[in-house]
Amino acid sequence: MSDKQGNIFSVIEKYYKDYGLRAKALKDEGKRVIGYICSFVPLEIITASGCIPFRARGNIHEPITTGDTLLETIVCPYYRSCFDLSVKQRYDFLSGMVIPHGCDSMVRSYSVWSYFLPFPYFHFVNIPTVCDESSFEFFNAELNTFRKSLGKFVGRPITDEDLFKAIRVHNENRDKVRALYEFRKADLPLIPGTELTMLLTVGSSLPIDEANALFDQVLTEIKQRGKSPLKKGPRIFIDGACLDNIELIKLVEELGGNVVADTICNGARDYFPKTDIGGDPIDALAHRYLDKINCPKTYRANKAGTFEGDIASRFGDIGTYAKEFKVDGAILYVYKYCDPFGFEVPARKAYYKSINVPLLHLEDIYSAGTIGQLRTRVQAFLEMIG
Amino acid sequence: MAEEQKEAKPKKRRTATQAAASIGPMVKEFITGTLQARAEGKKKLAYTFIVCHHEDIFRAMDVIPVWTENFAGICGAKRDAERFLQRAESLGLSRSLCTYALCGIGFDQWREELGQMPPDAPWGGQVRPDFMISSGQILCDPRSKWYQASQQFMPDVPIYNMDLPYPLFQRDRDHREVWSYYHKYIVKQLRGLVAFIEEQTKKKMDYDRLRELVDLSDRTWNLIDETYKLRRAVPSPMGTGDAMNTMVPIAFMMATQRAYDFFLDLKKELEEKIAKGEGEVENEKYRLMWGGGLPAWFALNDFNYFNSKGASFPVETTYRNVEPLYEMDIPETKDPIEHLAWRWLGYWTFWYDKAKKRPGSEPDVERLINWIEEYKIDGVVMHEAFSCRTWHVGLIWQLHQLAKIYKPIPLYVMGKDGKKEKVYRELPSLILESDIIDITSYSEVDTRNKIDAFIETLESIKSNRAA
Amino acid sequence: MANYFAGIDVGSTMTKVVILNDGIIASIIGPTGPEQRRLANKVMEEALRKAAISFQKITYIVSTGYGRINVPFSDRQFTEITCHAKGIVNLFSRAKTIIDIGGQDVKGIKIDAHGKILDFVMNDKCAAGSGRFIEVIADTLGVPLDKVGDLSLQSKNPAMISNICTIWAQQEVAASLAEGVPVPDLLAGVHKSLADRISRMVNRLKVEEAVIVTGGGGKNRGLLKALVEQLGHEILVPEEPLITGAIGGALIGKEIVEKAKQNKIPLETKERILEEIEIL
Repeated sequence: MSDKQGNIFSVIEKYYKDYGLRAKALKDEGKRVIGYICSFVPLEIITASGCIPFRARGNIHEPITTGDTLLETIVCPYYRSCFDLSVKQRYDFLSGMVIPHGCDSMVRSYSVWSYFLPFPYFHFVNIPTVCDESSFEFFNAELNTFRKSLGKFVGRPITDEDLFKAIRVHNENRDKVRALYEFRKADLPLIPGTELTMLLTVGSSLPIDEANALFDQVLTEIKQRGKSPLKKGPRIFIDGACLDNIELIKLVEELGGNVVADTICNGARDYFPKTDIGGDPIDALAHRYLDKINCPKTYRANKAGTFEGDIASRFGDIGTYAKEFKVDGAILYVYKYCDPFGFEVPARKAYYKSINVPLLHLEDIYSAGTIGQLRTRVQAFLEMIG
Repeated sequence: MAEEQKEAKPKKRRTATQAAASIGPMVKEFITGTLQARAEGKKKLAYTFIVCHHEDIFRAMDVIPVWTENFAGICGAKRDAERFLQRAESLGLSRSLCTYALCGIGFDQWREELGQMPPDAPWGGQVRPDFMISSGQILCDPRSKWYQASQQFMPDVPIYNMDLPYPLFQRDRDHREVWSYYHKYIVKQLRGLVAFIEEQTKKKMDYDRLRELVDLSDRTWNLIDETYKLRRAVPSPMGTGDAMNTMVPIAFMMATQRAYDFFLDLKKELEEKIAKGEGEVENEKYRLMWGGGLPAWFALNDFNYFNSKGASFPVETTYRNVEPLYEMDIPETKDPIEHLAWRWLGYWTFWYDKAKKRPGSEPDVERLINWIEEYKIDGVVMHEAFSCRTWHVGLIWQLHQLAKIYKPIPLYVMGKDGKKEKVYRELPSLILESDIIDITSYSEVDTRNKIDAFIETLESIKSNRAA
Repeated sequence: MANYFAGIDVGSTMTKVVILNDGIIASIIGPTGPEQRRLANKVMEEALRKAAISFQKITYIVSTGYGRINVPFSDRQFTEITCHAKGIVNLFSRAKTIIDIGGQDVKGIKIDAHGKILDFVMNDKCAAGSGRFIEVIADTLGVPLDKVGDLSLQSKNPAMISNICTIWAQQEVAASLAEGVPVPDLLAGVHKSLADRISRMVNRLKVEEAVIVTGGGGKNRGLLKALVEQLGHEILVPEEPLITGAIGGALIGKEIVEKAKQNKIPLETKERILEEIEIL
């Protein structure tokens, strides 16, 4: 391990542990940092306005306290943690918060967020649930409403040119992530899942061009890496919602697995789909965020008329990843109280069976206290497929 | 024979009105009707959800709605939901999800596996549908995922999932700035529904008939609002316990003459009671509002318990699914589909303008304040059902905000200088916890203790109330 | 030269050691207590004494159970899921579904004819779904834990007890006792409640016969009766349900040694020293 390599990853670890460090500094320089949660917030619009998108995180090591006095405990535990940190003023450097229609937990707690937190800007983006032609028409209008509102907040309208530029930069970011994932395809992945997820987490707290520069540095380092830091083990695929920390992946890799691919927010779900270039930028964004992102929240009509056909169509991207990354087993990691994923568990299970990938289904509550229980299950699963 | 066991069926609940008492047989008749229709095979049956403003379309096309939420509620009320919940769990579904959906999916899987109704299915069971109409969007995630999950066991039954959004309340924005493109979308989704049903039934929509039915449901909405407003009387002639029955025509029979006639009868009954000074409770001491939350269907007896302490419930937000059309400033249109879409938007944005006028207010909170004053409310009760995020997330916050911006109770307290001071306090509130149909979440002892403590609080405020 | 294999299962309440070569030579069950490491040593020493062999003679040691990582002298550790599967299929060749009912958790395991795991489920999040549930109620009723099963079989009319929360159940039981409900009825109700909870979890696996129950719960005849009723399947129980994990561990060790020999791979083992462990 070269000196330089140790250096870049210790920088990443610093920004991971002291999340928001860079954003605070930027705020002090007079920049506007806009917080968001969930893959459905159109980041290009935030970047185009001159603001910096900042993904709010929870903290599995911190017990939820203040948040629970204001918000029911029957919401998504990850979301609850994000809210708890927000009302504990950890994100006070934010100028605003944008929340999409990702799920009931988000929608139903929007009032609580906007009335309790002192940010000057709040906006709710109403993402359609279905994917018809009329949905894109609606979504275009809704995105333009967001564009107008954010433009008003920053004091100048967001032009198409601004959007084209932002789309380009964000697409570059996505290309770099794809390049990073390429290193996972090797027989022994050159980049462990822990490093990659930590990097992506940090990336979502930086301005997009700084994230791009950081990803470039890491790509260079990895290219020079001769040996993988991992020991060969079962190649594991992680399926789930937002994993904004490395604990689960760390556990899997500690127990001998190699995490090689995923469909998680803060992973392939967020980074693989690109925004189309050319034509109306708002329409391109509408298509990327509503159609290209594959999330249970979006209802896809059953065109096949059979269950097998339906699941092959809904989860086909997983099958592609499984082949591309030569996956030996998968972990479906679902939070308690999560309706969109929760209702899909039987269908997802059936799909993994249909592509002959053994599956471990975990239900968790977003707390470091459950690591012991996860350890037994993950180890037993690795023993099972090993 | 064995000694007295813990009751499997709850004691028969007392209702304040005859109208409410007539509901039980009405629902049973309705379920039986669906089974008969399936056997006859002449009309189409569709699984669907309440509060989609699409009953008029269904009725115009002679499609019989099978209200899956209703069936789950029946299982819950009969305390026979557990075996269906367990079935759903065995498929990999988490108990933390909407228990209506778990009950429905568990039932469907069982029925499909057996090729017939599960043994002793409540009231004959939930009939196999010809198609399923769901609606996700703002209302709730389970309504978008439930039928999709059930379709695994009925792959030949097609689904039409419609989006019915409404603009969320934002203080710095007039919803009218955006509601025209919302309207456009909703209209397209509803027209898509019509096209889907036309294809499934091989019949064309009769728009004249639809226009009539939409007019009927408009008038029914207004009638329901007028009827419920009668409960402002002191003593209140009807409570939330009854309303959990009378929600049946509102939610399941809209756009039928029967629903309209039901409320004509109920209105008459309430007027008669008011003339006689007859209340829900003989000696009405406290007037409470059910401020939010679906009821625990297996524990509706708790309303009688409240009554026994002198508490009445003149008003509730749950299942008050109508607002008067004449107070909505929606655009006029001759097209019935466009009107339905405007009615939808008008309903969901009803309290927005008022909320903007009061600092710190918000539509749900505004509604609470308005009704506290109109119905002369002494305290607010909320119910947190653990499996339903849609109607229960935000209740704590609503009470919090209500207490912050609305302090209507004058009380005398001892001031710093030893003299009596008049201060204004917020309304007392109570939060009950259990679930809609999962009875294992409910402790009768615990609930009744909470209610007793709340009554004591109300009594103490009453006696210390300043003039 | 004989090869000896040891399996050590460090559970939340009991530590079990099995030493075998072709058959079981010795098995010991001792309390785990809070000082897992020291007690693991002690139980191992006892087992060696019983087997009349020295520690150096053990070819391979596998540890399992909740405290498996706290056994410094084991050569490898595997989860109880893998070990119970191996142990049970060795005792019951027709086994397809295993239910391990422990003091702190309950596991359901589906296996194939070779003891390979096909699927598993666990409940380790809540006392009301584990053996602890029975322990707490037994304590409330003042009945020794080893008598609750048989006493519950005397019931003609099981009481209905909540199974969502051990505290609630405790309150219900105390209240019912005061009202004069007979103790066997309360115990039968509690067993029914736990059996219901267990079968709810196990039904996620699609139960197939032969169904084997192991762990401490396997010694409770009242619980077994309730489980048979809930699951609708016959249940088999090993003679000594507490040691199947340790048996499995030892057998896995045996397989590892044989495989290494076949493939001519060197075997990695720890030094055979049972040190006195300092308690921090």
